[in-house]
Amino acid sequence: MLSVTNLQAGYGQLQVLWDVSLDVAQGEFVALIGPNGAGKTTTLRAIAGLIPGRGGQVTFLGQLTTGRPPYLISRTGLIFITEELNLFEAMTVRDNLLLGAYSSTDSKKNRLNLEQVFELFPILEARQKQLAGTLSGGERRMLAIGRGMMAEPRLLMVDEPSLGLAPKVVIDVFNALKALHGLGVTLLLVEQNVNHTLQIADKAYVMEQGRIVLQGSSDELLKNKYLSETYLGRR
Amino acid sequence: MQQTTGAIPTCRSQAWPALVAKLNSLGLSLPILACLAVLAMAPLFVSDEYTLRLLVISLYFGSLAMTFDFTGGYINAVNFGFAAFVGLGAYAAALVAIHTALGAWAGLLAGALLTGLIGFFTGLLTLPLRGIYVSLMSWFVGMTLMALATAMEGVTRGARGLIVPPIYENATTTAYLYILLGMFLVVYIILRLILRSPVGLAFRAIGQNYDAAQASGVNPTRYKLLNFTISSACAGLFGGFYAHYVGIVTPDVMSMGYTLEVMALSFIGGSGSLLGGVFAAFLLIPLFDSLKRLTEFRLILYGLLLILVMIFYPAGLAGLYQTAIQKINLKRRKS
Amino acid sequence: MDPNTAANLLLTGLLRGGLYALMAVGLALVFGVMNICHFAHGEYYVLGAYAAYFAFVTYGLDPISSIIIASLLSFVAGVITDRLLFAPLRKRSKGDWVINAFLLTAGLSVVLQNVYRQVFGMRYRGITSYWDASVQILGLTVSADRVIAFGIALLAIAAMWIFLQKTRTGRAIRGVSQDEQGALLVGINLSSIHTLTFGLGSMLAGLGGASLLSLSPAYPYGGTKPLIASWFVVTIAGLGNVQGAVIAGFIVGLFESVSYFFLGQGWQEVASLALLILLLLFKPTGLFGTQIKSVWER
Repeated sequence: MLSVTNLQAGYGQLQVLWDVSLDVAQGEFVALIGPNGAGKTTTLRAIAGLIPGRGGQVTFLGQLTTGRPPYLISRTGLIFITEELNLFEAMTVRDNLLLGAYSSTDSKKNRLNLEQVFELFPILEARQKQLAGTLSGGERRMLAIGRGMMAEPRLLMVDEPSLGLAPKVVIDVFNALKALHGLGVTLLLVEQNVNHTLQIADKAYVMEQGRIVLQGSSDELLKNKYLSETYLGRR
Repeated sequence: MQQTTGAIPTCRSQAWPALVAKLNSLGLSLPILACLAVLAMAPLFVSDEYTLRLLVISLYFGSLAMTFDFTGGYINAVNFGFAAFVGLGAYAAALVAIHTALGAWAGLLAGALLTGLIGFFTGLLTLPLRGIYVSLMSWFVGMTLMALATAMEGVTRGARGLIVPPIYENATTTAYLYILLGMFLVVYIILRLILRSPVGLAFRAIGQNYDAAQASGVNPTRYKLLNFTISSACAGLFGGFYAHYVGIVTPDVMSMGYTLEVMALSFIGGSGSLLGGVFAAFLLIPLFDSLKRLTEFRLILYGLLLILVMIFYPAGLAGLYQTAIQKINLKRRKS
Repeated sequence: MDPNTAANLLLTGLLRGGLYALMAVGLALVFGVMNICHFAHGEYYVLGAYAAYFAFVTYGLDPISSIIIASLLSFVAGVITDRLLFAPLRKRSKGDWVINAFLLTAGLSVVLQNVYRQVFGMRYRGITSYWDASVQILGLTVSADRVIAFGIALLAIAAMWIFLQKTRTGRAIRGVSQDEQGALLVGINLSSIHTLTFGLGSMLAGLGGASLLSLSPAYPYGGTKPLIASWFVVTIAGLGNVQGAVIAGFIVGLFESVSYFFLGQGWQEVASLALLILLLLFKPTGLFGTQIKSVWER
């Protein structure tokens, strides 16, 4: 579904990504893991079109996305939920969700999607008239994911969903992601929480210093010596 | 402009480079001295009254642009009320000239002091503000000054204006030119020296990144106030000149249109270059004047030019100059 | 103060306030969404006035049609302005956007004023009234023009409110003003929203100019007063705050009406400005403004 080939990207004079290649097949739950500063967020941003690629290419659903403006990429069903969430703080939860469905003018479909989001995140339904800026950390994360869902994504990219959240909330968020996957949504997740992630993802790519250093199915990686020692602290 | 430490000349052959170095440190590089010399000698070759007046006006607006740039180009505070400060100096000088026998220079001084004081208070008012709010506040202060000038008819005669005697009896346009040139030179050197000192460095720090400057121990309050006060005082000084030169001061002098003109010159000349606005003034004012028959078109072109510069070349004339210098230096290095 | 005078002041204040609110909403929208300190806003007011004048006087259309046509023309003018000037500036000017955009509007203001002068001349183009009638309110006689202009202003503001709150596009405009990256991520075309917003802002200004034709005739420099008034209101409200702009418009209208009565023209201006400066001292972000968005600073 998503195919990234030899992607190079960076900021200004600084090159961050070196020959990054990864594939996400339909229905898969793929994780992108690695330490801070490895370039995981940069990869997602490049795929979403927020930063220009300097080499290599990205195709989504058979179409080339490198060089296209981000709003068009979003409309093809490639939805990116950033780490900073980019919520519309002064708007209600409901309005945020409705804006998530911006690319569709089918109001009936949108209403159904809204109900689905509320089913998955009942807390959002309870707070739907509240301003997004007044929500707690976990609720904001759920709102961001819910907003992403409103667009009926073919592929959902989520950047560090568990960052800064209390352990219980992390579980809730991961459950929601699992549920989404169960509904047939393809997921590409960036996470620092390696253990949790490998438990639920199908396969993963490990990034260090702008390159993919390891890849494979979750089972393979959990058994991988290097991975266990470096990221899971096992000897 | 290069700064070289001048060694004490021990023999005549070292006197010349030492002099050049000293002048450079005052901000008077050879190209600038050449331009000043041309301007100073102009009256010897030009006796046409009209052209002389054009030179005075160009230098006047250039001086204002330079003063404006001292604030806008360095601490990044665009003073939208600038014309009102100039006007304040004009009124002060006018009132001193009319009601006292202290002479024109006292009036100019009074103008500078009063405007400096108002500038200080405006700086105080803008202290808790950032970015565009500073500009808005100074705009409103300017409008208040203008409204006061109109309302206080007892003092200012409102819209009828104050008639101001010339700077001394029978002063010619050439005399005014030299007086203005002298004022310009003094103000320029002072401003340049300040900018080259640690104070100037502080200005730039505040302008680039207010928070970082504060975190580095630069006291933004002190420097903001200093900058506002100095540039206001200079604006008031030139305003005083205006009062004597033009001979009449009305509240109109404080209007937004003049601020826009000065601002345009300053930005077209290149923000932060101090002299860019002067060159822009000497370029544009005579140019637009030569389109005499199409006076209204002149203003349209003015506006268009500003628009185009903003879109395509925001670095202004100074940027052009820098690029040209770089290219010349590159060529020299290659050969 | 006798009740008659008080009623008069109240009425004048409200009528003024309505139009101030209308102009301020346009300005607040442009600033909030596009981050442009629009200094040519008054020129679109004048454009509306000219358009209405020619529609009404030269072509003999009825008042409502004239006003509608004037508003539409102003909208188109705004769209053209954005495509021609701001779109290229957006591409080239990432760092110094605020000051560059402002200077561009300053240049635009000069250009438009003098184009008007060239094309229409310095003559004042005014009318005595659209509707030759007066209305009795609170025991006072007010010209129908003023009341209808007020009604139009309220209608426009209400329509804008509904548009922004309830429609998909209106929501998108609000979204862009709050988080541009978020807007990109949900598939909003920023450029189109910017163009639409500027068109709307210009349309509101033109509507103001057209409605008030009998009170403020069209002439090249007629935009200065509306510009200053709009900025005054928007600063009091808090930059970019559209709802606040409406309320502040009425506050300013009433304040001006009262202070004019007690102080006269000249000192009224001083009083208004003094009030504004005091307000900014105690609440730099305006009455309703929240935190200063970092993107507004340089």
